[in-house]
Amino acid sequence: MVFSSDLVTGLLSFLFTILIFSYLIGDNPLFRIAVYIFVGVSSGYLAALAWWQVIVPRLIYPLVYGSVLEKAFTAIPLLGAVLILMKISPRLAGLARIAMAFLVGAGAAVIIAGALSGTLLPQIAATINAFDLSAASARNISVVEVVFNGAFILAGTVFTLIYFHFGASTKADGSIRRLKLIEINALVGRIFIGITLGTIFAGVYAAALTALIERISSLINFIGNY
Amino acid sequence: MSDMIKCPSCAENNLPDQEFCQYCQTRLQPLTDPLDGADAPIKPGQAPTKINTAELEPILPQWLRDARDSARKDDQQAAQQNLQQPSQPKPASSAKDPLAGLQSQAGDEEDMPDRLASITGVTSKPIKSRTESFAVRWVELGGKDDFAKDESDGSSSDLAGLKSSEPQPDENNEVRDWFRNLGNPEQAQQPEQSDSTDSDLPDWLTQMATKENLQPEGTPPDDSADVLDNSPVPSSDVPDWLRVLGSQNEKSKSADSADHSESSVGEPPAGIMSEEAESPSDSPKPDQDKSFEWLKSTVPATSGEEIPDWLSNDAAVPPTFTAAEDESAELKDAQSNGISDRSETVALQSPIHTESEEKSIEPAQDADTLGWLNTFQAVSAYQPENSLAQADFTPLDFAEDFQASDNMDGLFTDIPDELMSALEAPPSSLPTADAYSETIAPDDQTSWVEAMRSVDSGISKLSSNFPADQTVESSGVLAGLSGVLPSGPGFAQMSRPKAYSTKLQVSDEQQAQAALLEQILAAETAPVPIASFSVLRTSHSLRWFLAFIVFVMITIPLFMRTQMFSLPVGVPMDVNGALQVAQTIPESAPVLVAFDYEPARVGEMEAAAAPMFDQMILLRHPHLTFISTNETGAILVERFISGPLAVHNYQSGIQYLNLGYLPGGQMGIRAFAQNPRVTAPFDMSFSSAWDSIPLAGISSLSQFAALIVITDDAEAARTWIEQTESARGAVPFVVISSAQSAPMIQPYYESQQISGLVPGLYGGALFEQYNAGRPGSARSYWDAYSLGMLLAMALVLGGGLWNLALGLRERVAAWETQ
Repeated sequence: MVFSSDLVTGLLSFLFTILIFSYLIGDNPLFRIAVYIFVGVSSGYLAALAWWQVIVPRLIYPLVYGSVLEKAFTAIPLLGAVLILMKISPRLAGLARIAMAFLVGAGAAVIIAGALSGTLLPQIAATINAFDLSAASARNISVVEVVFNGAFILAGTVFTLIYFHFGASTKADGSIRRLKLIEINALVGRIFIGITLGTIFAGVYAAALTALIERISSLINFIGNY
Repeated sequence: MSDMIKCPSCAENNLPDQEFCQYCQTRLQPLTDPLDGADAPIKPGQAPTKINTAELEPILPQWLRDARDSARKDDQQAAQQNLQQPSQPKPASSAKDPLAGLQSQAGDEEDMPDRLASITGVTSKPIKSRTESFAVRWVELGGKDDFAKDESDGSSSDLAGLKSSEPQPDENNEVRDWFRNLGNPEQAQQPEQSDSTDSDLPDWLTQMATKENLQPEGTPPDDSADVLDNSPVPSSDVPDWLRVLGSQNEKSKSADSADHSESSVGEPPAGIMSEEAESPSDSPKPDQDKSFEWLKSTVPATSGEEIPDWLSNDAAVPPTFTAAEDESAELKDAQSNGISDRSETVALQSPIHTESEEKSIEPAQDADTLGWLNTFQAVSAYQPENSLAQADFTPLDFAEDFQASDNMDGLFTDIPDELMSALEAPPSSLPTADAYSETIAPDDQTSWVEAMRSVDSGISKLSSNFPADQTVESSGVLAGLSGVLPSGPGFAQMSRPKAYSTKLQVSDEQQAQAALLEQILAAETAPVPIASFSVLRTSHSLRWFLAFIVFVMITIPLFMRTQMFSLPVGVPMDVNGALQVAQTIPESAPVLVAFDYEPARVGEMEAAAAPMFDQMILLRHPHLTFISTNETGAILVERFISGPLAVHNYQSGIQYLNLGYLPGGQMGIRAFAQNPRVTAPFDMSFSSAWDSIPLAGISSLSQFAALIVITDDAEAARTWIEQTESARGAVPFVVISSAQSAPMIQPYYESQQISGLVPGLYGGALFEQYNAGRPGSARSYWDAYSLGMLLAMALVLGGGLWNLALGLRERVAAWETQ
């Protein structure tokens, strides 16, 4: 009998799927075995990936076969890597701060710049332009729909922001409460937040349900095929 | 006359209000203010300080004991020689041995008072007669074994030891001669008495003797009391303070009993008295005769030229006797306890450093030569018949002997500065006795003297309750001394410490209270149960039930391959945008695909992405370039190509290229967007990626026909959107996301930052409708997915209604109860 790769992979997939599903009855050794195997395989895979996908092509190869300029540019990250390795020694751990400072500074700059230019400013502009009829007409959207969508987006944004306004004043009876107008708007904001969270929950459920369907389908297909 | 102040320098009389002598400009008034408060002098009637001289013996240093032993031996030999040669007295003292003159006398034991007998250890004998002749005698401190006996006798015994011993008639005669010489200068000039002492006497003593020769005769030759009473010194020459003291002493004598008056008047200064009292001598000491010889010559020599300090001190001794008179009773008590006294210790170390002598220091400083002589004669005059104690006016002898010693300086090491300054003061600076007649009252003592008195009294009180401490000091300035530090509570441990049980001794009430405290603490630390919702008590079984329902509802359609539910109708705008991108890209255009999802989402992501890629491959045959910021993205690409897109038979390096893992996260994406050739130069097979067919002619991100991101994480989609926004230009951007991240990515489509969005299985199902149902994975999952979603909606709705019903029932029940 010849075992094809599909059969082996199918058996392994069926086995580990059953082991993971055993978690339905609680934490058990079968589930732990599956988890430990996954962790071990993932670690080995990551080590190989780091060597073959990062160190060799991006560090060793330029240093060995690259031009002078490539070698010079590669020496900089190499120096940074050496400095970070100094963390092994408590006495020389301070040297790693140089590379870490570079990484943190560069990362913060990239993230902040990307967030500003890619998320904050465009999202603010999109909220403002929700009532842009010209844009809506360009997308073949009716005016009513544009107005309704724009009003809904604006209301949801405003009421949600009002909900997160926690400024309050002391009343005559000593209690601390927000203004009544803010309370009402915050209640509307809570509705929008609830809808958003419900949508996210539905998406999570749909994603998990799809994954479950795929696993059960694979089991059925494996059983049906063999 | 008494108000006049005699200049201590020129001996001229000055008015009392004058500050400086009108003849020599010498200061007459002291610069210091009268003492008050704690430093105020002791007033008459104030409780005297207990003086205990019985326990001085144990604190003597070893060298002193050795010296005494050797001296005792010498005395014995000298006594034997005297017996053989009674007419040849030996020198009173030796310059080498400062305590040689303190030889004990064997005959003293007969007259030893009880308190001294307790020191010597010899039972005292009854006092024979008060009228016996007395003599100043040196008493040596006895040995340690000679002490600590009962001293319960009355005060009369205090002076018993001070009496001259009868077996020494010669000595008594010498003493009488001493006093006799006070008024008989002729005898004072006897060659046989002065020859032996002149060589040892200093010049000033010789001069004193010369002065004494000028004194009028009339001093009784036989009895010192008579000598004092019949002193021919005119009363006008006697200082006022001495006159006052004399009158007070006489008053005290008349008031007290005979014994008491005898002891009080005749009690010598503390230090000297102590040494005398502690004398355990066994044999008479003829050497002491010499000391009286020089005194004989000293007493008449009362010239006013130079008076040594010690002699001035002697002039003031009588007032100290008066002060000591009141202390006799307490002194006896203290001595009877056999405990060392600090005052005695001090007195032993420095004979001048005694309380009585301290009282006499200031008068001595003020006395000039004539005044000193007058004082001394006045003292003799006011001493009545009980001159026995006055005969123990030994400071002169002791001082002579003391000054003759080589270790004199060492004995003064403990003298207070005030006293030392007084001793070292030049005679010319000493004020007259008249000038200090008021300020140096008998009880006027300086603060440090008073302080010593208080300490002594305190210690004597302590020592009266505890036995003597014979501990020998091993270090410090007291090294070699024993019993210096008195024993008492807080000073030393007198007895073995009491053994206490280590077991906790508590009563029943205390145990009950402890138990109550434990209960309180336990109640404080015990967790307070939180009220739980009753509706969740069946959650475990409910969870099993729901899991079973969902599992069945999913398995049945999948197993039966039913198609009960139709695919979604209508295309949302976001999906439509993605569809437009898939249909409008150029033929064989390079398309960059980012695989950034976890392997656990393979089922959903492949079902969502496969229809779009199937349609795009079928229509445009794009060259796909895959890259992933997720570590597992590279192998997921291979799975995707060999799985849902296997029908297209795409070859790596020809139709598609897997660049593999892009490290660096957001910075890596940023770098790749700016310079993809440098950032990802190789593919998974470690060959040059940018020279391959899929990437031919591509050097920047904007040269791709489309950019597609397949991710299950909204953050990954946002990162790609943010970091490639400036680099991609107008390149269509489509996001194929999981259903859970689609709501987060939707705003980017609304803001037109992305061209289309395919949200999960729903988006895949839409694409399949426009792809002739290929590849069909969405369709196969759609019934199970629809049932699962319906079941979820039904369970959520049913659960909500159930909870609503429960809440309404509780409210109704609560309303009915109200």
